[in-house]
Amino acid sequence: MEAASNTNDTAVVAASTMPSSASIWQDVLAQAITGELIASMNYQSLAEICTDEEEKAEALEHAASESGHAAAFAAEGRKLGVAPKDNVEGQYWKRLRVAFLRCVAERDFVGCLIIQEVMLESFAVASYARIGKVGPGSLGETFTAIGAEEEEHIDHAMSILRAARELDVQKFDDKVHALHLEVMTTLAEMLAREDKNGHCEVCHGNCMKATLPGVGLTTSELRGASLQQYLTTLDMLGLPGEMTLEWVTRLPV
Amino acid sequence: MRDQPVDFALIGHQESWRATADVFALLRGPEYPAVPDEEIMSIVPWIPPRAVCRVTTHSLLGTVAQGMYIDSFIPPDRLDIAFMQENLKRVRKAAAYAIKAGAKIVSLGGFSSILIEGNFDMIPDRGASVFTTGNSLTVAFIVRGIGKMCAQEGRDLRTAIVLIVGATGDVGSGCARCLAPLAGRMILCARNMERLRRLQEELVTQGGQVDVAASILELPARPDVVICAASMPSPTLLLGQLAPDAIVCDAGYPKNLAPFGNRNGTKVFYGGLGQVTCGMTFAPAVGGVLNRHPFPDVVHGCLLEGMTLALERRFEPFSEGRGFITPKRVEEMERMANRHGICLAPLYNGDGPIENSRHCQPERTEQWA
Repeated sequence: MEAASNTNDTAVVAASTMPSSASIWQDVLAQAITGELIASMNYQSLAEICTDEEEKAEALEHAASESGHAAAFAAEGRKLGVAPKDNVEGQYWKRLRVAFLRCVAERDFVGCLIIQEVMLESFAVASYARIGKVGPGSLGETFTAIGAEEEEHIDHAMSILRAARELDVQKFDDKVHALHLEVMTTLAEMLAREDKNGHCEVCHGNCMKATLPGVGLTTSELRGASLQQYLTTLDMLGLPGEMTLEWVTRLPV
Repeated sequence: MRDQPVDFALIGHQESWRATADVFALLRGPEYPAVPDEEIMSIVPWIPPRAVCRVTTHSLLGTVAQGMYIDSFIPPDRLDIAFMQENLKRVRKAAAYAIKAGAKIVSLGGFSSILIEGNFDMIPDRGASVFTTGNSLTVAFIVRGIGKMCAQEGRDLRTAIVLIVGATGDVGSGCARCLAPLAGRMILCARNMERLRRLQEELVTQGGQVDVAASILELPARPDVVICAASMPSPTLLLGQLAPDAIVCDAGYPKNLAPFGNRNGTKVFYGGLGQVTCGMTFAPAVGGVLNRHPFPDVVHGCLLEGMTLALERRFEPFSEGRGFITPKRVEEMERMANRHGICLAPLYNGDGPIENSRHCQPERTEQWA
């Protein structure tokens, strides 16, 4: 762990935060920063296949916004006196990025939105809201504020995706299912109680999941909240609830 | 799945974690590794209310009604008034789901019915959907069950002292109205004395001999027939107040008298349950795990009321609000149900069946009172 930078904020937070908590927050922030960087890269890639100039500009704007989120989380780390290590090549995040790039290669704009806005953002919005509730001081506030911004992205994408579904319901639902099998399986493995695939390559030491209760979080809670947000988002798109329920029950635990 | 009509929607919940785990496992499918119960218990409370399966109900008349079962996913260990706000929220979401699915009639099962019966205005904008608590058919099956059990045990209801616990609730007051003209004497028990007095006055005016008690410790006589229309906080306390060979109908949620019943000759049976003679089909095939009863195609009366109304193509809020169930309406509902082969389920309790038949016998509905 790096030494705390000498700011007033650091002094305030450090006084109320046990070293072990800081170590846990370091890993929570590392995951969040990595997720934001992946999102930024995804939006940049999305911009490359946008045919509509307005959509392209919007994608680039989102990319910049996600980079800003990563920077904000990094700043929170500095306040805590830790240097979270981001790693977009970490096994789970890399798999998520590969899935997205496949859609980009196929110039599948809708597929890209489903991955980023429905699946990854559901995970982010739900997780950030939970973390925001327990995070100390500005750390919690930052998670809450960024979670709210991510939610706005989802709202924007919903109208595009609903229109896409109306064109061909069966084709759209099949696409969501195919992406679910790849992306949600990866996220479920990432949030599973045990790392069955080995180290995630983002946490700075051992897997942080078992230590999360030390800062008032649990993987069960993060997984549950994420699944809830995901199912609610799919409901908003109009996918039959009994179908998405089956999908979710089949995810790895 | 997407284009199937939704004549009815049944809103319910699982009564135990075992049942919840079984539903989860069935939806997951045998080709996937089994999920430990503790993981299921950590996932299920997060699932927003939604349809679990499609249900097709077959009528004696050869017609069918198609619908869906919506689980509110109230965790079984939170089926308690202490979690009222949280559970109400879930029931409201389940109701919204049914409305969005275009259900023509929505039946509220178990705890959902208890939560909503006095709060129908809490249901979101209903659009073209109508709601029923299903309590009229529940009352019909409870009273029918009492009659059947009395006949089986050689008792005469006309000389019996009948106690109703939870008498001011919708089901309890409906049972009281149906039984007061048939029983020798009635004792109504509930915590709200003002409501009890009002019900007593109503029944006495109609010629019934009716006493009231605010507690089962204050009963004016030892009852020999009992309907528990509310879940008992202390089943042993109740059983201690009864005649030793009393007939007890456990009709509360959750049912909790069975482990204590059948002692000292007390005959406990589960009340309010009906059976669909011509059967139901489920897609996916969760029927086997949703039906936790020892007989096929057994469903709570409250849910069967929605199916009955759908089979009748009578999309109306047959049972609404609290305290409006009358013998006439109960009789009308039971007659409709019987016409489609929906009738009182064979009697059973926590120890298993207490009659030999596995199927109900559709019979001409006798007039109430």
